[in-house]
Amino acid sequence: MNAIAFLLGLLVLSYLGSILVGGRTIRGFGLASGAEYLVLGFVLGPQVLSVVNRSLVESFQPVVLVGVSWLGLVLGVSYLRVGQRPVPAPRVALSVALSALVSACVSATVFFGASYFSPLPRSQVIALAATAGLICSETTRHSVRWVVERYGAKGPLADLAADTARASALFPAFSLAIVCAWLPGAAPPAFSVVGRVLITLGLGMVLGFTAALLLGREFRRDESWGILLGTSLLGTGAAARLNLSPLSTTFAMGLTLALVSRHRDDIKAMITPTEKPVLLPVLLLAGAYVNAKLPLPLLVLVATAMAAKILGRVFCGALLSLTAKPVKGVGLEFGGSMLSCGALGVAVALAFSIRHPGVVADTLLLLASVGVLLGEWLGPGSLRRALARAGEIKPETPTEDSQSNLPSEA
Amino acid sequence: MSGHGGSKKTASTRAIQAASLLVTFGVLYGVTRLTPELETHLGTVAAVGFLLLAGTLMSELLETIGLPHLSGYLLAGIIGGPHILHLVDHHTVTELSPVNTLALSLIALAGGAALRVGTLRSVPRRLAWATLIRSTCVLVCVAGVFLAISSFIPFTHGLDTKPLIGVALLWGVLAVARSPSACMGILAQTRAKGPVATFALAFIMLSDVVVVILLASMLMLARPLISGSGGISLEDFSVLGHELLASIAVGVTLGLGLAIYLRLVGRQLLLVLLAIGFGLSDTFAYIHVDSLLAFLAAGFVVTNLSDQGPKLLHSIEQTGSVVFVVFFATAGAHLDIPLLRRLWPVAVTLCASRALITVVASRISSRLADDPPMLKRWGWSSLVSQAGLALGLSVVIVKAFPSFGEGFRSLAIAAVALNEMFGPILFKFALDRSGETDSGAPEVRPSLPPAPATK
Repeated sequence: MNAIAFLLGLLVLSYLGSILVGGRTIRGFGLASGAEYLVLGFVLGPQVLSVVNRSLVESFQPVVLVGVSWLGLVLGVSYLRVGQRPVPAPRVALSVALSALVSACVSATVFFGASYFSPLPRSQVIALAATAGLICSETTRHSVRWVVERYGAKGPLADLAADTARASALFPAFSLAIVCAWLPGAAPPAFSVVGRVLITLGLGMVLGFTAALLLGREFRRDESWGILLGTSLLGTGAAARLNLSPLSTTFAMGLTLALVSRHRDDIKAMITPTEKPVLLPVLLLAGAYVNAKLPLPLLVLVATAMAAKILGRVFCGALLSLTAKPVKGVGLEFGGSMLSCGALGVAVALAFSIRHPGVVADTLLLLASVGVLLGEWLGPGSLRRALARAGEIKPETPTEDSQSNLPSEA
Repeated sequence: MSGHGGSKKTASTRAIQAASLLVTFGVLYGVTRLTPELETHLGTVAAVGFLLLAGTLMSELLETIGLPHLSGYLLAGIIGGPHILHLVDHHTVTELSPVNTLALSLIALAGGAALRVGTLRSVPRRLAWATLIRSTCVLVCVAGVFLAISSFIPFTHGLDTKPLIGVALLWGVLAVARSPSACMGILAQTRAKGPVATFALAFIMLSDVVVVILLASMLMLARPLISGSGGISLEDFSVLGHELLASIAVGVTLGLGLAIYLRLVGRQLLLVLLAIGFGLSDTFAYIHVDSLLAFLAAGFVVTNLSDQGPKLLHSIEQTGSVVFVVFFATAGAHLDIPLLRRLWPVAVTLCASRALITVVASRISSRLADDPPMLKRWGWSSLVSQAGLALGLSVVIVKAFPSFGEGFRSLAIAAVALNEMFGPILFKFALDRSGETDSGAPEVRPSLPPAPATK
């Protein structure tokens, strides 16, 4: 397959993605995380059918980079609100704490596992452990949205699930800035890790502020595209050239826009629909990047990391059932629901893969992919059961049209 | 941007734009100084962002002194390009060539979509004379001027007479190209109504088609002259005829398909245009179809055989507002400044002679067609502007003749920049003097962004 044909294929996929977000009647169809596109990419990729060979996949690296960074921007812009409702600060703190806890569980497991059972040097073990933790720390908000829309859920537990899923992006997005600033090759070399982290986030904040100023008093949707695209591409490219984390830069940019722009709702309404059209090709490419032919110790490490993630999430659920009223009595199910992960975890793995291709990146991408599949298998079902037990949905009664009572985003 | 041709900008808005422009240059300047040797795909991403943002801001700022937006895009590219600040390197400029493909397809689609049968029918005799006289005179006379001053043009040194004639003919074709979107932009801004405005739109759109056919013919004619191998036979014309017919047939099919899509689905036109621009351009090249002519025909069919023309134009406007900025800014970055330093007297001479020949040819054709006095006097004014199409033709010529193509393109960009700078100003002046503008009415957004630019 040549590059143009592949590009056309990706555009068709984007088109499908845009239909998925645009059509009212088909919401709730497809998988919450888009895992099917990840699998499709894997099947078409060099590992299985080789319809798309490795060099072709690698020639699309800029597309992946831009896609991943755009997802960061979308997540940043939409971070503070679920639909029209702001996410309360305590829930942001709670979500960050839960993400950090799970990340720590996974990182510690991977660190010790890799130290003892893999031949990787120590610096790579640290990089692997830290990034694996970040990949596993996200809960995709699409999973919550999918269940809520499909079953017409409404209530405090649905709200909590939507809020924590939404707020879970902050920890991996910002922590990735630290990991990338720490990795060898990060520029400027004269700066410390802290300095590089500040450059990563500062770049995003400066560009976000610039975009907010340029969007000015009147919001002109058509003309705003140039500004948003220009600033995000500049931030992405600048961070990538410095070997820092473009995802973190664009997330910071989106968050700055959400905080300082008077047009935050317009911007969110404008760019949120682009998420699926961007996400699906990125997932397909991620699937094609996946290398499952890893040494056995690394495959075992991936399985161990998954086990640590499950245990971490279940522990979080149990902890919440003791402290958060809506979760009382449904802690295990709620913990299981937080296993759903998607765009951000894969984006983190892809960002690492672009920055440092090799066996560590392959392991991380495989971990992210397995995480998406496992989350898809366990997450939505757990959330449905939790919501049913909490009395916020009637068990096994999916609704056709439940747009009006969505607690999650529009 | 808070408006291309929209509401008036305050001083604080301009100050914000200037500060943002400094930030844009500052960010990439800092990054390229910290990582100077990077020539990978990653540099391309930053460059696209920079060219888009800096081009847009520069055009807004230059608007305050009456310069067209295209000048701003070009200037941003020139300053950020490999010869001045080196924020965008040669490798990146080469990597951005797919943007050219996309921009050209959008320009051709928009040009076709703006060409209405009704407008053509209203002035058929004038159009016929004007097309014949103006195109022929400009082609032949400008080629003659090119030949006359060829000793001052570095990239023609060492060429024998025959190849030189070939290059001069190609330059003549380039001189025939005009700027439909500059014309449309000025007409939309001024809301001009009258013989000069109506005729300008009809003639320039038609000349789009003419210049595409002329280029195909001249390429065929110039190839044996320049390469020195073979000659021109009737078979070549037969091939050209087939190619043109095939291009129109494919374009009509595409246009019908687009019209049906617009009517039945009408959504996600951005993705559809991207797929058409990237995918079909390559396919057309593969099956030896002239993509410019095919896209022109497609746009023409959508406008004239369905009621979906405005929707298509609006979608192109949305997509183009980003693509055209990058296209022109990349053209600016591509500008070979050292060569231009040597060429500027040549560029000025060629532009001045083109303008002069255009005025004389217009007067002759107006007399032959018995045009109304206002058209006799100002009919030439819309024909000076050049932009996207001329640059696109130069890209085609570069591809066809890589041995001298880069020098040709640099001179073309220099000439187009001059024409684009002064052309829209002349056209607006003429419309004002002929009393066809409604200066009291509020400005409206032009039908194609950027306002006085493109094609």
